[in-house]
Amino acid sequence: MSEAVTLTVPHARSYYGVVRLVVGGLAARLDLSYDALDDVQVALDTLLATEAYAAGPEVTVEIALANGELVLTVGPLDPGALARELEDGADEGEGVGLARLLRTLTAGFELERRDGGDWVRMRKPVTSVAGSGG
Amino acid sequence: MRTTDKNDKELLRRYHHGGDIEARERLIEQYLPLVRSLARRYSYRGEQLEDLVQVGCIGLIKAIDRFDVDRGVELTTYATPNIIGEIKRHFRDKGWSVRVPRGLQELNVRLSRLMEELTVQLERSPTIAELAKAAGVQEEDVLEALETGQAYATLSLSAPSGGEDGDDLDPLESLGQLEHEYEVSEDRAVLAPGMKVLDERERRILHLRFFDGLTQSQIAQQVGISQMHVSRLIRRALEKIRDEIVVEPEEATGNGVSPG
Repeated sequence: MSEAVTLTVPHARSYYGVVRLVVGGLAARLDLSYDALDDVQVALDTLLATEAYAAGPEVTVEIALANGELVLTVGPLDPGALARELEDGADEGEGVGLARLLRTLTAGFELERRDGGDWVRMRKPVTSVAGSGG
Repeated sequence: MRTTDKNDKELLRRYHHGGDIEARERLIEQYLPLVRSLARRYSYRGEQLEDLVQVGCIGLIKAIDRFDVDRGVELTTYATPNIIGEIKRHFRDKGWSVRVPRGLQELNVRLSRLMEELTVQLERSPTIAELAKAAGVQEEDVLEALETGQAYATLSLSAPSGGEDGDDLDPLESLGQLEHEYEVSEDRAVLAPGMKVLDERERRILHLRFFDGLTQSQIAQQVGISQMHVSRLIRRALEKIRDEIVVEPEEATGNGVSPG
């Protein structure tokens, strides 16, 4: 089965709720647990709402189901800010840096460079219904 | 934290016993930093800080006017819950009762309870479909109600459940004394430095989630609050961190940011 939804919205707070609803709708179809859905939405909110990551007036969220995982790709985001956040050692210490946040809330993430910005791809197993660990 | 001094008591006596309005004004001026500091805690929710300071000042003035000079209480102790109560009442009155339909508010509250019941019953976090079935509504209604919960989080912030009295001291506030005005530090990691703005409970919950790896359900059990409340606290903490961050313009490839 392959399902995908692509959503491009203004990079503005008032649209994040729309994105959350769409992700929630797809997650409901996949029987994701509330824990897992909330994890995905918190990760998404962080990427969307952190002003330092913004790279333009619009942001695109691609939501897909692939290989038994919910895959969310967000971008384009500021390559400089993301690279600093995700480079080795940037997440040490007591703070909750982006790398730690994404590691905890998702099953994995990657950076991809395209369209003049960085895109973050995050994965969450749809089998999360039996346990919502990252 | 501001230290109480004899000056405050003297001003309070002059105002309450002698009707000295100038003494009252001096007290208001002296306690403005307290109002500003408390208002800052709520300013990340889309309201202008100055508006919240104005609202907080009403609470301060009420506290000064109602203060019983003969009781051994310090004005800071008495004023803090009054100021917070006024700010929270402002959010409540202006906020979600206007923007969110009552049916969705009620469904959100029901879902919070159902989520706890189902988590115990199923020994895992329920799905949207399970919540919908238990609540007797469509999945879309559940999603919409959960989304309105985000609006609720922006207004009610940390009330555990159903507290009607805006003057109640928030458990988060009661944990500690007034926070220091932390200097915002720069760091190559954008989110990490903002931890300083969190209070003890928020830091603890983030630690349980992001360092100990507990799920929201597990944190809810351990801390003794609902899973939805854990979710709100995590979101609130992360939002506070985001709002505190500063990136030097030259470091951010021309995309300089100032705190919100």
